[in-house]
Amino acid sequence: MEKARISSTQLFLLLSGFLFGSTVILAPARGAKNDAWLAMLLGGAGGVLLMWIYTAIALLNPSKTLVDILKEKLGKVAGNILAVLYTWYFIHLASLVLRDFGEFICTVTFPETPMAVVIGLFALIMVYAINSGIEVIGRLSELLVPVIPLIASIISLSFITVYDFTAFLPILENGIKPVLNTAFNFITFPFGETVAFLMLFPHVNKKEKLKKVVLVSAVVSTFLEIILFFRDIFVLGSDLLARSSFIPHLTSLLIPWLNVEPLVDINLLIGGGVKISVCIYAAAKALSQIAGIDDYRTLTGAISTFCVVLSIWEYENVLEMFNWTEKVWPYYSILFQIIVPLLLLLFSIKKGKPSNAGAEN
Amino acid sequence: MNEIMITVLAVFTVLIFYDLQRFIRKKEPARVFAIYIFLMGVSLAISLLLISGRRPSSPSQWIEAVLRMIGVVK
Repeated sequence: MEKARISSTQLFLLLSGFLFGSTVILAPARGAKNDAWLAMLLGGAGGVLLMWIYTAIALLNPSKTLVDILKEKLGKVAGNILAVLYTWYFIHLASLVLRDFGEFICTVTFPETPMAVVIGLFALIMVYAINSGIEVIGRLSELLVPVIPLIASIISLSFITVYDFTAFLPILENGIKPVLNTAFNFITFPFGETVAFLMLFPHVNKKEKLKKVVLVSAVVSTFLEIILFFRDIFVLGSDLLARSSFIPHLTSLLIPWLNVEPLVDINLLIGGGVKISVCIYAAAKALSQIAGIDDYRTLTGAISTFCVVLSIWEYENVLEMFNWTEKVWPYYSILFQIIVPLLLLLFSIKKGKPSNAGAEN
Repeated sequence: MNEIMITVLAVFTVLIFYDLQRFIRKKEPARVFAIYIFLMGVSLAISLLLISGRRPSSPSQWIEAVLRMIGVVK
């Protein structure tokens, strides 16, 4: 196995960057309208639980990636089939984030530039980062991810005098059902997507801190996203919030004396960059393990090219993208994010003792 | 449309030549070539179809159709 190591701080920042990812522009809990904060709280709690499951799997199978665990617990045939499906899932996820990025940049920043050029150039940079190794991606996240809350704070503080603190009222105006639906969506996007980190956890140098790091990053991300929701609703009001496509971007446009629009782009570049690089890294590593290839780097170019093409092929327009992400993605993800990890946890607990004893020997 | 097609073909040619000469120099096993050619071949074929305006139904649509068939998505 690759001998690269990442520190707990780097893992924390990678996870936080991954969780912010496209949520810095897409506002995943928009379906619950005024009550999105409630959906985020519930979804965040579910997300923490889900990420705890992933951590428990990693701790019960130290030094093993998701592909190794699948093969060991489910047998060679079923394990390999599921590993191929997971590879597809990581590629699909990377292509969806690339498309989010492309749609945003081509809608608000470079409307004259073809989306293929924007996505292709971004993917090229990602390939360079991924080929440099997971340590470099970790160090990059150390340098760049702290910028995300900084930028969010600058934008939030710029509006402090115009906030309408009653804009999120009344609570549960449309009942509890939309809140619960949105909470479920919020678990699958972004928390469940961290299943990709099962390919990265073996590289963490201090395993004893893994659980703490994962839980803290999940809680911090949830609270930051709730704060961002309150900022947006206090500034835009619930009606405009429900009707806009890129909510944080729209909010940033409303500062009369300061142009902070590029800062939102920077946030997306950082968050999206971390998410795409983690997904492509996970896909390349999974595929190389399935095929028995020593170096995952041989496949990153081909996988990234496929991701770029897939991201353009995926949807005809931005509305189709929003609709699919909201209605289909959560159910499509259940198998990868909940069912298989739960099975793996059960098998790991069942077979945990002998394998741990073996590891100690 | 022809210009875009030529550009895409040129980009793919550069990418494939760059990677293949690296694989040959490192004496990579046949399965690396097989996976690489499969992924690049599919990417090139879809790119050319998209440029020519014959967009095939996408994996998202297949997934949605399967979930509708099961009754998960209405």
